[in-house]
Amino acid sequence: MRTDAIPVDPLPLTAEQAESMLQRQVKKHHIAIILLHWFNAIVWFFELLTGLALISSPLFRVAPRWYISIVDGVFGTRANMLQFHVALGLLWIGVYLVYAIFGFRTYLSKEVIRNEIALDLDDYRWLVVRTRRILGLTREALPPQGIYNAGQKLFAFMVYAMIPLVMVTGVVMAFRLFGTQVVGWAVVLHFCAVGAVVCGLLVHVYMGAVFPEEKPAFFSMITGTVNELYAYRHHFKWWTVIKAEEQAWNQQHANEAVAPAETARPGSSSADREPGCPG
Amino acid sequence: MARYAMVTDLRKCVACQACTVACNAEWDVPAGYARTRVRTTPITGTFPHLASSIYVAQCNQCDRPPCVEACPSGATSQHDNGIVGVDKSLCIGCGFCLEACPYDARYINPATKKVDKCDFCVSRLERGAEPACVITCTAHAKYFGDLEDRQSDVFKMVYAHGARRLETSTIRVGPNVYYAGEHASTDLVLAAFPPRPPRLLAAGQAWSRVLRPLVLAAAGATFLGQAVAFFNQLRNGEKDFED
Amino acid sequence: MDNNVSRRQFLGTIAAAGAGTAAAATVASAQSHPPGWSGTQRVEKIATTCEMCFWRCGVLASVADGKVIRLEGNPDHPLTKGRLCARGNAGTRLLYDPDRLKYPLLRTGKRGDGQFKRISWNEALDFLASKLKALAAEHGPESVAFFPHGLSARFFSTLMKAYGTPNSAEPSFAQCRGPREVGYTLTFGRELGSPEPLDLEESKLIVLIGSHLGENVFTSQITAFATALSRGAKVIAVDPRFSIAASKADWWLPIRPGTDIALLLAWMHVLIGEDLCDKEYIARYAQGFKELEAHVREFTPEWAAAITELPAAQIRETARAMGTAKPAVLVHPGRHVTWYGDDTQRARAMAILTALLGSWGRKGGIFLPTPIPRGAFELPDFPESPRGRADGAGTRFPLASEELGVTNGLVDATVTAQPYPIKAWIVYGQNVLESIPEPQKTRKAIEALDLMVVVDVLPVEQINYADLVLPEATYLERYDSPSIVTTAKQPFVSVRQPACEPLYESKPGWWIAREMARRMGLEAWFPWHTPEEHLAQIIAPMEISAEELRNRGALAFPGRPYLDDQASDAESPVRTGSGKIELYSQELKDLGADPLPRYTPVEDPPAGYFRLIYGRSPVHSFARTQNNEALNALMPDNEVWLSTRSAKDLGLRDGERVTLENTDGVKSLPVRVKVTEGIRRDCVYLVHGFGQGSKGLHLAFRRGASDNALMTHVKVDPLMGGTGMRGTFVRPVKDPTAH
Repeated sequence: MRTDAIPVDPLPLTAEQAESMLQRQVKKHHIAIILLHWFNAIVWFFELLTGLALISSPLFRVAPRWYISIVDGVFGTRANMLQFHVALGLLWIGVYLVYAIFGFRTYLSKEVIRNEIALDLDDYRWLVVRTRRILGLTREALPPQGIYNAGQKLFAFMVYAMIPLVMVTGVVMAFRLFGTQVVGWAVVLHFCAVGAVVCGLLVHVYMGAVFPEEKPAFFSMITGTVNELYAYRHHFKWWTVIKAEEQAWNQQHANEAVAPAETARPGSSSADREPGCPG
Repeated sequence: MARYAMVTDLRKCVACQACTVACNAEWDVPAGYARTRVRTTPITGTFPHLASSIYVAQCNQCDRPPCVEACPSGATSQHDNGIVGVDKSLCIGCGFCLEACPYDARYINPATKKVDKCDFCVSRLERGAEPACVITCTAHAKYFGDLEDRQSDVFKMVYAHGARRLETSTIRVGPNVYYAGEHASTDLVLAAFPPRPPRLLAAGQAWSRVLRPLVLAAAGATFLGQAVAFFNQLRNGEKDFED
Repeated sequence: MDNNVSRRQFLGTIAAAGAGTAAAATVASAQSHPPGWSGTQRVEKIATTCEMCFWRCGVLASVADGKVIRLEGNPDHPLTKGRLCARGNAGTRLLYDPDRLKYPLLRTGKRGDGQFKRISWNEALDFLASKLKALAAEHGPESVAFFPHGLSARFFSTLMKAYGTPNSAEPSFAQCRGPREVGYTLTFGRELGSPEPLDLEESKLIVLIGSHLGENVFTSQITAFATALSRGAKVIAVDPRFSIAASKADWWLPIRPGTDIALLLAWMHVLIGEDLCDKEYIARYAQGFKELEAHVREFTPEWAAAITELPAAQIRETARAMGTAKPAVLVHPGRHVTWYGDDTQRARAMAILTALLGSWGRKGGIFLPTPIPRGAFELPDFPESPRGRADGAGTRFPLASEELGVTNGLVDATVTAQPYPIKAWIVYGQNVLESIPEPQKTRKAIEALDLMVVVDVLPVEQINYADLVLPEATYLERYDSPSIVTTAKQPFVSVRQPACEPLYESKPGWWIAREMARRMGLEAWFPWHTPEEHLAQIIAPMEISAEELRNRGALAFPGRPYLDDQASDAESPVRTGSGKIELYSQELKDLGADPLPRYTPVEDPPAGYFRLIYGRSPVHSFARTQNNEALNALMPDNEVWLSTRSAKDLGLRDGERVTLENTDGVKSLPVRVKVTEGIRRDCVYLVHGFGQGSKGLHLAFRRGASDNALMTHVKVDPLMGGTGMRGTFVRPVKDPTAH
C-alpha cells in the first residue's frame, strides 16, 4: 500500500500488492514461544502416549486394550511407564515454572490478554460464521481478526485453564498428597482436563497440519514469521497495527536524519518484547 | 497354574492373634493398621444360651476382584495363581481399591501413602516357605494350598468337607479364603461381618458414569466435526492460501 | 538482544530439565524396607527360647547385621514345634523398646519420686556389695528378701543363697500355681510343674474349671486343645464368663463364683453313686475311696444346684459325660488358681475327680514327667540361717513351697518386722506392685526398707521406689540357664543364647551375679567363667552335643508319659508316703484341715457391688507387655465386662467410661464398659495388667484400669499362703472426667 492511510476494513488487493505482500515476512512468534510450543507438543505426545496406556482398568480405561499392551511392551514394566510419565511431567512443570517466573509480565500482561486471549465482537461473529462455513452452510466472509483468531483464542484460553489443573492434579497423584479423597478427585480431574485439551488439540493439529489455508501459520511456528499477505487476509487487525508501527518507525527515521537514537522496534506483538521493556 | 487359597478352621481358632502379630512383624505394618485382622463376633443370644464365633479376615484374593477393576493405574492386578498383587511402584494412593473391596481388606500406609494388603506372603512362597500367619498359628487352624491340587488340605476341606466362603446373595466375588467349622459359626461371622457392596469414591463414580462418556463424546464429536470439515474441504476445494 | 533473551530461556530450560530428572529419580526410588534391613544383608537364624511369658517356646531369631529383624517359632522345638504366639512374635518390640532401662541408676530424690542419676556398673555393683555386707553385719543376711522370677534370676538366686538369706519368694506360688501344686502333691505325691503335663490332644472330654484357655495362651497347650477339638473332643467350661473356651464348649456352666467345690463334690457324688468311676484303677492305685464315698453321699446335684445356681440336670449330665468318656477325661488343673483362700481344697477336689476318672497317668489325662539328668557344679553348702525363713513357708503356711516361697509372707514380715526385721528387698524380674495383691501393704513395706534394689528390663512403677536400678538385658540378648522340661511327652532341654549384643549398658543375669559374687567373696559358688562353660556342665550328663543344642535350639529325649510305660521295677509312680493316690488325706487331717474337701461359702458382694474377676488376654503377658508397640496396638487398654441387665439398671451404655470403686473406697482409673450378655449379673471382669502408673512406659501409662490396685483385701489360704484374689467387690461409677 502506498497510501499513508491504513484501511479499516480489508480491501481487495491488486495482484501486484498481493505478490509484494506475499514476499514480505512479518515477525509473529518469539523464539522462546516457538521453543515452548514444540517442547509442549513433544511432551504432550509422550504424556498422552503413556498416559492413555497407564489408565488400564476397565472402570477408567479410554484406550483400547491392544494399545495398552503395545505400550506395555515398549516400556517393559508398567512401573517404568509411570516413572517416565511422572518424570516427563515434572520436567514439563519445571520448564513452565521457569517461563512463569521470568516471563509472567511478558506473557500475561494486560495487553497480551486483551490482544491474544480476550474475545471481542468480531471474534464472536467469527465463531458463528466459521462454524457455518465449515459445515458448508455459507460462503460469507469472516470478520477481521487480531493476531490470533477467535478459535485460536478459545483454544488458548482453555489450555491456559487446563494446564495448571493437569499439573497440580499430576503432582497430587505423583506424590500422593492430601489423602485419598483428594487423590481420588485429582485422578478424575486430571483425566477430564486432559480430555478437554485433547478435544482442542484435535482441532488445533488439524488446523495447523492439515488445513491448507493455515500452512503459513504452521511454518510460523518454525520460522517465527508469516508472510504479510497471510497476515492481511487472516489477521487483518493485527496487520493494521503492524502497519501503523511501521509507518511510525519510518516517520521517525525520516525525521532523524543524522542522530542515531534508541527507538522502539518495529512490530508490536508480545513475541518481540523483551521482558520488562517498556513500550 | 495354581489357584492359591486359605482355609481357617473356626473350630480350632481361639483368636490368639499370633497370626496378626506375625503378619505385622513380617511386613512392617504400621501400628494401628493391619493386613489381617482377627475379631470375635458379638455374643448373641440371652444368658445363658449364648454363641459367638471368630472372624479371621484378610484379602481373599477373589476370583472376580472388584479392586482390580477399580485401580486406575493397574497397580492392583491378579496373577495367574489367583493372588491379587499390589505393585507399589505403580500405586498412587488414590484409594479407589479400598472403596471397592467388599471385605475392607486394604489399608493405606500413612508413611508411604500407598496401599497395602495381604498377598498370601508371595515373596515367602517364592522361597518355598508358607505364609507367616499359617506357620505361626498356635492352633494349627490355618491351612494354605492350591485348590487345583487334589491332594492338598485346602482342596479336601473345601470340596470334601464343605468349607464355606463368606458370600451373600448379592455379593459373590469368589473369595478364596474359606472357613471350616459348623455352619452356625460361619453364619455368626456372616451376620456380624458381612461383605459390603463395592463402592467407588464419588470421584470414580463421577468418572465412570458421567465424565468418561462426556469426554469420549466430546472427543468423538470434535473428531467428527474435523472429518466433516476435511470432507467439505476436499469437496469444495477450499482455496489454498496462495490463490 | 533477542539472542540474549533466547539464550537465557535456553539455560532456564536446561536447568528445569535437570531438576525434573532429579525429581523423577526420587519418585522412582521410594521403596520401603523393614527397619535395619536393606534386603541384601545376609540373615542368620539363631535358635533360642522365648521369655515373653513363662511357657518358654522355641524361637528362631533372624539376625541381619547385628539387628534382630524377625522372630519365628522354632520347628525343631519338641513342645511348640515352630508355633509362636502373639507375644512371642512381638519380642523385637521389647528388644527395641525406646523406654527400656538403659543404665544403672542411683536414687537422688525421695523414695517414690523416681529421681535418679546415671552411674557406672562398677559404682552400682560396688554400692550394692557394700550395702549387702553392711546389712549382713548389722542385721544378718536374712534381713535381705529376694523377689526373683524368670530363668535369668537363677544366677542371682544362687548368689542370695550363698549370701545366706533364706528369704526368697516368687509370685508363681502364692499368687498363681501354688494351691494346685500343693493339692496335687497331697493327692498324687507329685506336683504338676510347668508346663503342666496335660495330654489334651488325646482327650475325649476336657473339663475347664475357670480356665479360659484360648484367651490364656500357652502355645503348645492351644495346639493340643485345638487338636482335641478337631478330633471331636467335648468340652465342659465352668466359668462365670462366656469365654472363648466357653464358646467352643458343649456345656457352659455359668457357675456362681466361689462355689466350684460344691460342683466338684456333686460330680463325685454322681460318678460314685452311678458307678461311673474307674473302679479297677482306683483299686490298683488309690486309697480312701470308702471315706470319700461316705463324704459325698449328701452332696447331691440338687444340693449343689442351689449353691452354684446351675441346673441339677446339667450337673448330672456333665458328670455322666465324664463317666462315659473316662479315662481320657482331662480335668484341667488350671494355672492361676489363687481365688478364695480355700484353693488348696478345691485343687484337692479336682485331683480326686481326676483319680476317680482314672485319668492321672493315662492317655488323654494328666501324664507323668520323665526325668532328665541334669548336671551341677560342686558347690559349697549354702549357709543355714539360724533364724529361719520369714515368709512362713513350712511354718505359718505348713504346706507352702520352700523353694518358691510366699511373697505376701515376705511383705507381711517387712511390715510387721515379725519374726524379725526385713531391711532390704532385691526385686529381680518381678513386678511387686502388679503381681502381689494388697499393693497398699506392699508400698508400706517398701517405705520401711533401708534398701530397695530393682533389676528389670522396663521402667515399671516399682523402680520409682528403688534406691538402685540395674538394667538387665532382654531374653534376646543373653545366655540363661537352659530350660529343662520333664513335664512333656518328650522331655527336652532348650537353650537360651543371645541373638544380638545387649543394647545400651544392659547386662545379662549371669554377669550381674558373677560380678557381685566377685565383690562379695562368694566366687566359690560361681566356679564357671563363661556362660558356655555353665551350659556345658548343665548338659554334661545328658550326653548331647552342645553345638547341636545351640544349632537346633532344643533336643528331646524319649519320654515315658503313661503309667503303662513305667518300668515294673521302678519306684511307684505315685509318690505319696503310702505309695497310693490319697483320696483321703491323712496329712491334711494331721494339720487340722479337712481331709476331704468341703464347700465353705465365700463372702457375697454387698448390694450395689459386683465381684471383680479377672483374666488374661492372648496379646499380653501379665503387666509386662502393655508398653510393647506391636501388642499395645492390638490392645492398648482393657474394658470392664458388665452384664446387659446390670448395665441397664445402672444406666450405663456400651463404651461409656466408668471408674471402679471397691468397698474400701479405692478408685480405679477410668475404663470403658463392655455391655454383654456373656457374664453373670453378680460379677464384672477385667483383663489383668493395665492401669499402670509408670510415666516411663509411654504407651502403657494410665491406660485402662488396674485390677491389682483394687485388691485391697485378700483371703490367705492357711495351708500354703496363697492370696485368694477374687474377693474384691467393686461398683462402677460414672466417670465425671469423661466426655
